Amino acid sequence: MPGGGFEEIEHTADWALRVHGTDLADLCRQAATGMLQLAGAEPADGPTRVESLVFTEADAEGVLVRWLEEVLYGLEVRRVVPVAMRLRSHGEVRLEGDMTLAPLARLEKAIKAVTFHALKVTPTKNGCEATIVFDV
Amino acid sequence: MIQKQDILRRGPWTWEIPASHRSDMRVPVRLFADERLLEDALGDASLEQAVNASTLPGLVSHVTVMPDVHQGYGFPIGGVAATLLPDGIISPGAIGYDINCGVRLLASRVPIAKAQPHLRTLASALYANCPSGVGVKGSVPLTTKELDRVCREGARWAKRSGYAQEGDLEATEEDGAIDGADPESVSARAKERGRPQLGTLGAGNHFIEVDVVDQIFHKDAARAMGLEEGCLVIQIHCGSRGFGHQVCSDYVHDFHGAAARYGIRLPDRELVCAPLSSPEGGRYQAAMGSAANYAFANRQILAHHVRRSFEQALGGKGSDTGLHQVYDIAHNMGKVEVHQVDGRPTRVCVHRKGATRAFGPGFEGLPPRYRPLGQPVLVPGSMGTASWVLLGTAGSMELSFGSTCHGAGRRMSRHQAKRTVRGDRLRQQLEEAGIIVIAGSLPGLAEEAPKAYKDVDAVVEVVSQVGIAAKVARLRPVAVIKG
Repeated sequence: MPGGGFEEIEHTADWALRVHGTDLADLCRQAATGMLQLAGAEPADGPTRVESLVFTEADAEGVLVRWLEEVLYGLEVRRVVPVAMRLRSHGEVRLEGDMTLAPLARLEKAIKAVTFHALKVTPTKNGCEATIVFDV
Repeated sequence: MIQKQDILRRGPWTWEIPASHRSDMRVPVRLFADERLLEDALGDASLEQAVNASTLPGLVSHVTVMPDVHQGYGFPIGGVAATLLPDGIISPGAIGYDINCGVRLLASRVPIAKAQPHLRTLASALYANCPSGVGVKGSVPLTTKELDRVCREGARWAKRSGYAQEGDLEATEEDGAIDGADPESVSARAKERGRPQLGTLGAGNHFIEVDVVDQIFHKDAARAMGLEEGCLVIQIHCGSRGFGHQVCSDYVHDFHGAAARYGIRLPDRELVCAPLSSPEGGRYQAAMGSAANYAFANRQILAHHVRRSFEQALGGKGSDTGLHQVYDIAHNMGKVEVHQVDGRPTRVCVHRKGATRAFGPGFEGLPPRYRPLGQPVLVPGSMGTASWVLLGTAGSMELSFGSTCHGAGRRMSRHQAKRTVRGDRLRQQLEEAGIIVIAGSLPGLAEEAPKAYKDVDAVVEVVSQVGIAAKVARLRPVAVIKG
């Protein structure tokens, strides 16, 4: 993962992802991609729509969790899955951009929640990284 | 990571991490385990998380760690912590996202010999009648106003709506409804998630299981519970679905601000908390109560569907198919209770996350038939292995704030389980062992493989030897329904 990406790491009861991004926005995009892969979310054919978003939180960890919660909410309640994410971060507290959402065809696993457990967005030479634990 | 040399042996099954281990610990951590289970606990971050939990403001006595402990997020699964009223804290992360996740046990007088030819029909009926799986919707249409009533009334709402029988509510912790629940403290988003999911099992480690009473250890208690050796019983394991998950998520966010306002420093953000007496703490208790009541109603509706299934599969086959409720108990909850602290009765908020209330004989909140014996405790094992019915004891009141274990406890990660177990092969192995399995997801089945869990018999042996529960009956599975 020289620039961005994610990998599943061991956690006894739940799921954990180590995520790398070139900046906070890329970290959020990579984390969502990893979470959707873990959940086995697949888009259906059908009309897509673009929705914009803006989040302001107290810190980078708050932004990351809030963003992933928004994606989860889309899966569970609105039955939509992002197929494209164009995100920009402003400092460590603000995320904005838009998502292209497709109808959800299939969701293999349920994720109850995104946790703050031991969550720290830390700088790396290529950007930043974080390890996120999901309650499943 | 905690090392074995950091732990003092206090008895044959009792271990302690002293409060001197780390400068921010307020109380010691006490673990109940045999040597093997201790090694398991040392194998992940469970005990580190228990040490983190021991730093919460207002804790009394010690943080208790059960033998089925495993790593969670913030607070270990299998942890118990009591905080003093009014200034101690309440922590949503120390209760968990699946608020009032719990177990209900229904018992029959149908002998396995008579039921055996119809077990597959029963399993199919359970799968058809009890909505399960990812994203499944229930069959209970609810307006937001009606959902608010569910939040206030819990299983009482279910009874009023025709989903309960006489005797169900009194055989439910808190009679199936927590006082002080207030849906005004619940977000619109939580209600949106919860409204279509009432009466659903969900996925993950939740299940409905048909068992046979395999062995009875306490004849009087088994008689009081209506458990007969060789007869069928049914367990329902689930919680408050997306409603509870969202309540917890909302308050974990809110409490970040509260913790800062009250000057609470924490080693892990997932332990965020607020004083019980604060407006924030009060709002969370009202919201948590709402989610707990949602879960009681949820299991009550599922019990109704289980009874329908039982009648469909076994009715008219020459046995009394009536299923009576043995008990319903939570294992993710925060509750204000009175316990002896330094020899004085003291009001504390007991956080149980992956731990079961286990009140001893004489507890007024029990139905009269259980009062002289103690509270029934339901301990499901891993899929394909035994489950247990226990009793709360005087020992649990002295040693663990009236709490005991809640299950087998994981020892292998889901990732590792998926790598080493194939769902289709596992189902075949279980079928060969005489256990019918109906599962919505084969990868999900693999994650719940028996080898991913500890030995539930060893867990129960520890709590029995320590004296924080007493054995009543061992159950053997014959059919499992998973989402």
